[in-house]
Amino acid sequence: MRRVIVGAVASLLCAAFASIAVRAQTSSAPPNQKPKYEITVMPPGGPAPRLPDGHPDFSGHWFPNGAGQGVSGRYGVDPAAIRQFDPKVTPEERPAFQQWALEKIKSMTPTELELSKSSVNCMPRGVPAIWLQNPYTTYILHKPGVMAQMYEVLNNWRLIHLDGRPLPKDPEPFFHGNSAARWDGDTLIVDSIGYDERTYIQPNGWFHSDQLHVTERYTRPSMNYLIVEITVNDPKVLQKPWKSAPRRWTLGNGEIYEFYCTNNKELEELEKLRQQELKGK
Amino acid sequence: MAKRRVFTVMVAAAWAVLLAGSSASAHHSFAAEWDATKCRDFTGTLRKLDWQNPHPYFYVDVKDEKGKVENWSFQAYSPVTLRRNGTDRQVFLDNINKEVWIRGCLSKTGKTNAAAAGTLKFADGVLRQVGQIQD
Repeated sequence: MRRVIVGAVASLLCAAFASIAVRAQTSSAPPNQKPKYEITVMPPGGPAPRLPDGHPDFSGHWFPNGAGQGVSGRYGVDPAAIRQFDPKVTPEERPAFQQWALEKIKSMTPTELELSKSSVNCMPRGVPAIWLQNPYTTYILHKPGVMAQMYEVLNNWRLIHLDGRPLPKDPEPFFHGNSAARWDGDTLIVDSIGYDERTYIQPNGWFHSDQLHVTERYTRPSMNYLIVEITVNDPKVLQKPWKSAPRRWTLGNGEIYEFYCTNNKELEELEKLRQQELKGK
Repeated sequence: MAKRRVFTVMVAAAWAVLLAGSSASAHHSFAAEWDATKCRDFTGTLRKLDWQNPHPYFYVDVKDEKGKVENWSFQAYSPVTLRRNGTDRQVFLDNINKEVWIRGCLSKTGKTNAAAAGTLKFADGVLRQVGQIQD
């Protein structure tokens, strides 16, 4: 029994560190070349533009990195331009799960975990995952009364009304939740409740309950930077609210592309693997 | 008792690394479907491209040591990612019926003649990353 447990722990540790090695490998230059950074962190740019009502204008085509352009599968990218925040400067706490929630997450087989991901099953990522784990861009059109967010991934979109409307009493469950927004100086604070329970906070099995309350804080400290900070309050699943690091998105040019996810051949293969895992249980 | 505590700490550490790590990784897990221990080089002729979301597939006639030709399918990054890293649809189309070298990994299910492409080179010799690199 002990051997089985030790083996399981060893496998888990190997998987954990292998995942780090894989990420490190994919973000580095080819082994026989010295790192030469052709793509670097964008400068902040000038002051943020403002709307006629004086608030910051968040409009722009935003990339989820520091480079203002695509970085996946490219050589010569400064690691600082790949990430959205520097954990040494703004460390991000780990979610403190309720014990039952942690057990539920741990009970998922690797393939079940994979099948739960939006990038695999093509379900909408939802809020806040769209800000926390999304390698694709977001196009924002911002007017004094409304902010339209167009997410490249899966061609999803969301309107955030800025007319002071309150949160609904009995919200219909939506993938992007039901939102109410207010300004605190130059920070736009968006509170959302009433979520479809099929979304995940992050693609690591972090599910949520019907009590999920998400707070997004948007700032544009300069022309080229959009900062999004997320707070997740979900007392059924978490022991305490979780707060993200301030995630930096950078202003880019170029097209936002069509991305209807309609033909995922991986599902058939993953289902075969899931059946194999279930037989092995 | 002390051993149990060490064991608990090890499990917690492993889960913490996995949970923290997955939040930083892009897209989904290669390892769930593809076998990083079964990667190899392929050389063949590019025959066909299915440019679709979430993953394009391209098809290559690969000749084995005995000269037998088999058609392989290769999965790549999403079209959006490929466009942004300079390997767009037109690059593939311009190389139809031309030689291509690919480094890819086999499916975990043992699916016949199917692999995930990591890097490739067309006739221009440029090393292109078209999927997650595993080795």
